Amino acid sequence: MRYKEWIFLLIICAMGTGLANWVGYGISIQKSLPGLIILTTISVLAVVLVNIIPLKLPIIAYCSILGLLSAAPFSPIHTWVINSANAIEFAAPFTIVGSFAGLAIGDKLKQFMSQGWKYVIVGMVVMTGTFLGSCLWDSMTLNLTKLL
Amino acid sequence: MKANVEYMYKSLRTRFYSEKKIYLISLFFVLIADGIGEIKFHLGSGIIILFPVFYAIILGVLSGPQVSKIINTKEVQAASKLVIVGICPFIVKLGITAGANLDMVINAGPALLLHGFGNVLGLILGLPVAMLLGMRREAIGACSSLNREYHMAVINDVYGASSAESDGSLALYIVGGMIGAIYFGVMASFVAMLGWFTPQALGMASGVGAGIFMASASASLASIFPAHAAAITTMASTSNTIAGITGIYITMFIAIPLTEKFYKILLPLFQHHHILRTRGGRQNAL
Repeated sequence: MRYKEWIFLLIICAMGTGLANWVGYGISIQKSLPGLIILTTISVLAVVLVNIIPLKLPIIAYCSILGLLSAAPFSPIHTWVINSANAIEFAAPFTIVGSFAGLAIGDKLKQFMSQGWKYVIVGMVVMTGTFLGSCLWDSMTLNLTKLL
Repeated sequence: MKANVEYMYKSLRTRFYSEKKIYLISLFFVLIADGIGEIKFHLGSGIIILFPVFYAIILGVLSGPQVSKIINTKEVQAASKLVIVGICPFIVKLGITAGANLDMVINAGPALLLHGFGNVLGLILGLPVAMLLGMRREAIGACSSLNREYHMAVINDVYGASSAESDGSLALYIVGGMIGAIYFGVMASFVAMLGWFTPQALGMASGVGAGIFMASASASLASIFPAHAAAITTMASTSNTIAGITGIYITMFIAIPLTEKFYKILLPLFQHHHILRTRGGRQNAL
């Protein structure tokens, strides 16, 4: 995708986030605006970095790291970033992702049905096992870290 | 970007014209989904929370070419490219929360780096169940990971795209896309109610798998532990970032070899198991 396309699509997403923030949580578009600008700008920076840094990292890794750096105590703009981002409710950017994701699997519904219950059961067991296993493992490593 | 890159669309304008229906309908879904808002059910001592994103997913599937046909197959493919765009600002928001709680990230540093080995329990529980249900080689693909995009790429790479293992992986990918976000949210809240784990550990565990799973699980957990919301989202986002990087290697060098070993141990036990085994092997896959 061209940068132009990324920016355009990110603005569509920002509209979705602003809308969700307003309809779902009663926060006016005006109040959301600085946060939306920050989220969009950092996402654009992440796209630029993915293209110029030869490391093979997924784009969301850049998004997360840039978000973290911009809000870390050593960042000169961290109070502004944190306050603006706080106006955006946690789940607000997420509804439009759900819309896209739902639309994106619309052509697999029959396939899903024909997989039948077997794969659904296996899927649930694998998801539960992975989550529980991570809880157990992470509890252990977190406790060990505290001991050090 | 290089000049010789082939773009999907001739220009931004052509993209807009061929995708405008997707944008409009997605924004409309946001309006409906967030208009309905969160719904909480009390179930015994626990709560099940339905998030707007769940309704948006369901509305999306229902407008697809196999139900109401509002969206055609070409638009479905276009929408799948938009998921990653939408997830970016969301991950940035989580990154900002993590940055605001940087001391927490640094304190948990070693644990965060090792995060991902817990995935092994998924295959240990999943493989016997899959084999009991009559799956064979496809169970290896299905159980070795949560089968998100990057896991699927590894399976395809190791076994080949038309192998039984890849069929199993794809089947789980589809199941994950359909029910993963909703199931993760509900399951995480049930695990939380066991009271065995700290909010930090629960938050970290939410970071396994896809961003959409993580978001759903951490949103549920944050509603259950409002006082620990920052800790949960911080751990969830950093562990998800790290899992996105280490997950490929864990699948390749730990999960797949382990699944293979376990499969060899289990196979004799299920060899003469004909009750649930319909015509066996590949027919059960796709």
